[in-house]
Amino acid sequence: MTITIDQITKTFDTSSALNGVSLEIADGSFVALLGPSGSGKTTLLRIIAGLETADSGHILFGGEDVTDRSVQDRRIGFVFQHYALFRHMTVAENIAFGLTVMKGKARPKKAAIAERVQELLDLVQLPDLGKRFPSQLSGGQRQRVALARALARDPAILLLDEPFGALDAKVRRELRVALREIHDRVGLTSIFVTHDREEAFALADKVAILSQGKIEQYDTPKQVEQNPATPFVHDFVI
Amino acid sequence: MRKATTEPASIRALLIGIAFLWLALIIFLPLVAVFSQAFAKGWSYFVAALVEPDAWASIKLTLITAAIVVPFNSVFGMAAAWAITKHEFRGRQLLINLIDLPFSVSPVVAGLMFVLLFGANGWFGPFLMAHGIRIMFAVPAIVIATSFVTFPFVARELIPLMTAQGRAEEEAALTLGAGGFQTFWHVTLPNIRWGLLYGVLLTNARAMGEFGAVSVVSGHIRGLTNTMPLHVEVLYNEYDFTAAFAVASLLAGLALVTLGVKALLEWRYADQLSASGH
Repeated sequence: MTITIDQITKTFDTSSALNGVSLEIADGSFVALLGPSGSGKTTLLRIIAGLETADSGHILFGGEDVTDRSVQDRRIGFVFQHYALFRHMTVAENIAFGLTVMKGKARPKKAAIAERVQELLDLVQLPDLGKRFPSQLSGGQRQRVALARALARDPAILLLDEPFGALDAKVRRELRVALREIHDRVGLTSIFVTHDREEAFALADKVAILSQGKIEQYDTPKQVEQNPATPFVHDFVI
Repeated sequence: MRKATTEPASIRALLIGIAFLWLALIIFLPLVAVFSQAFAKGWSYFVAALVEPDAWASIKLTLITAAIVVPFNSVFGMAAAWAITKHEFRGRQLLINLIDLPFSVSPVVAGLMFVLLFGANGWFGPFLMAHGIRIMFAVPAIVIATSFVTFPFVARELIPLMTAQGRAEEEAALTLGAGGFQTFWHVTLPNIRWGLLYGVLLTNARAMGEFGAVSVVSGHIRGLTNTMPLHVEVLYNEYDFTAAFAVASLLAGLALVTLGVKALLEWRYADQLSASGH
């Protein structure tokens, strides 16, 4: 689903403000929001998700204005940096959560939920860990569970906030490959936030480089490397 | 091999010994004294002291007060902790300080405040009198004073816990389509249940034991507005020590039961406690 970010502005008392940010993200693409801390990239992601509201500007999904739509009604999947798994629920219950909270007739039958959970566990390559608790998993496993949970309701859009930030280098690379595969297989439109240049360039179709609440450049990794648009991009990328 | 963090055996024994001695002196001995005094004249005298109509009325009043105050303060304590930890708003710090107010104000002063508000010459006194509503020197005043004194327990227990847990799990629930109440019920409440239980038990213990504030507002009408602590004082002042300690031992017994319930629950749900990372 196409995502249109139109002149988003947000001011804070402290930092991470956004000054009229616009981006067009093509259906099915994988985009990285890259920038130093305080550049506003996480704020932008949270505004797209509906976890925060912009002071002005619009967010459109597939041409439809969702600016005033609540986070619950935006049909997005969100993956948090520190996983945010429900610690008192098993892995299977975590993944099923999005389905079990559906209301009335929309909620699938128990057997159907269990089937879907197993399908997602297979997708993130943890087929046998459904009965464990999050505290019994490694960091990489937790983030896989968080990913499965975010995908349970078939979102068209997947938003990831520094998804590998808390993991070590080896797990990072493994998970990176897994994420890209899942993105392609499920047919998602994904945006992920990172401050790691190498990660952004290795994973994304297009990279949006932010600095102080403004987009410095939005292009393919190759183009950014060959033709950095501003001195900031040049310094940050090389 | 000796660990770097461990003291020599002699020092350990000394420290543990001091701790035990202090506990024995401050907590265990007085408790033993209360119970031994209570049974000084035998079991039948003990029972007679409790079923005596005024004593029985004070027991009922204390239980009724706790039954009203504890749920009330649990809900409001939870609401306050939730508002403070999950939201940013103007006056947040002020609210935190206000919640602490009952801890820093002497219970007697708290009682006097309600006399000034609801007493015959108080701000709302004439209005209440004109409408035939009786608050002072009656059950409502006792409930209000007890609520005031015990308000901070649940909120104080939950605020650090909920601050440490952050908002990420709630946000995750929202992105998964859960509504506000579903998020509270399935995510927030299970995460805080042990802190909440502990706060509720503390509230209950204090609600049953509160003396100062209740003493000011109750009016000391025997058999009507005397709670258990007040009744203990009455009996004690009348030199009926055995009866006074009988009621006191019941009060202490309620506290011990409360502690026992907490220990039992912690033991019963130890696996869940460790799994949920508390």
